[in-house]
Amino acid sequence: MQFLIDGIFDEAENRYLKPEELRDLGQYVSSLTARMSTYRAVRDHEVAMVQKVADQLELEMPGVAIATVERSIKNAMLSLRYCAMAMLSQNESLVEKQLLPWLKESVQLHNTAEVDAVVFSLLKQQLRLSLNAQQMAMFEPFLALVEVTPALEEDLLTIAGMF
Amino acid sequence: MISVSDLLVDNRLPANYYASEVYVRGDLEMGLLESRRGDRLLALPETLIQAIYAGLAKETGQASRLVLFNCGKWWGKNFYNRFRDEVSAYYDTSFTDMPMADFLQALKQCWITYGLGKFDLDQTYHSRGFLVIKTWNSPFARLAPEGETPACFLEAGILASVFSQLSGRELHCVQTSCESLGADCNQFVVGLSKRLEPAEALIEKRLDHESIMPRLCA
Repeated sequence: MQFLIDGIFDEAENRYLKPEELRDLGQYVSSLTARMSTYRAVRDHEVAMVQKVADQLELEMPGVAIATVERSIKNAMLSLRYCAMAMLSQNESLVEKQLLPWLKESVQLHNTAEVDAVVFSLLKQQLRLSLNAQQMAMFEPFLALVEVTPALEEDLLTIAGMF
Repeated sequence: MISVSDLLVDNRLPANYYASEVYVRGDLEMGLLESRRGDRLLALPETLIQAIYAGLAKETGQASRLVLFNCGKWWGKNFYNRFRDEVSAYYDTSFTDMPMADFLQALKQCWITYGLGKFDLDQTYHSRGFLVIKTWNSPFARLAPEGETPACFLEAGILASVFSQLSGRELHCVQTSCESLGADCNQFVVGLSKRLEPAEALIEKRLDHESIMPRLCA
């Protein structure tokens, strides 16, 4: 895992840290308490927030297949968890490398882009209600990394039925 | 009414098992590479792959294709078992009940993390009983000795083995386009041996994938 401050501790024998490295380190350490409190808030409110999203989704998009709704809700929760971890460790690559390529493909395979877009906007509303302004400001840039891509049609067939 | 807590299995949301950063682990002290489950991984240096090609060509000549294909089949059998165990344990579901889309997504990411390149299924001919697999950035194509016909016999063997075990029928696999010959991607056709028989001759005649497929389906 690549932390923002990763690698700066490696050259003790050669030099003291540069002012900008110390500044980065200080910024990470001083924001850590706030990061942890935001992380706890997301964790504690996860199920309640996502449940409200699911309830509202049924009102806003009543005709959507249950499998699509479930898949979309899972995508939202997965994003929430990756973003929370990325925020805690100040490590955007966690979202960019581990989650996004996989999520984009999943959205295409299951054709959930349209529902995902609604779910994500509902989720943001819920986050604003559950997190305070400082926590939201800290969390939002990570959530913004997760963008929903347009979907492609793909048949869901089974291997065994093909031959 | 959807219950969100019911969507979580033991509070888990299985997703990208084969994410490279998480899947491959190293133990510097022991000099070992391991998977996230603790299985040993083996890294093949380019020199070794080149040496295998060169050594086989010298020792067995034309038969090296068959040797590579059979090695692929053998490795594919073990690969399939490991893949099946890992995926079904991680998703907490039996392999056969897994939706095709989830299976495919896991296999594609696994292919990347194993360093075999990008992988995709082309289902154009599935109603005719053929499955086309496309791969990009294959190390076995890149390091293949110069030739005039497709060179990835090891991968063809792997795919024949994997899809045979998946479908429960003995399937064969032939390669119809190859990056080593300047093609954009490697294409492999998987199907019943008897139906794939004509393909070998068509490849020898240097026909391309687009010309071979209609003849196979005719």
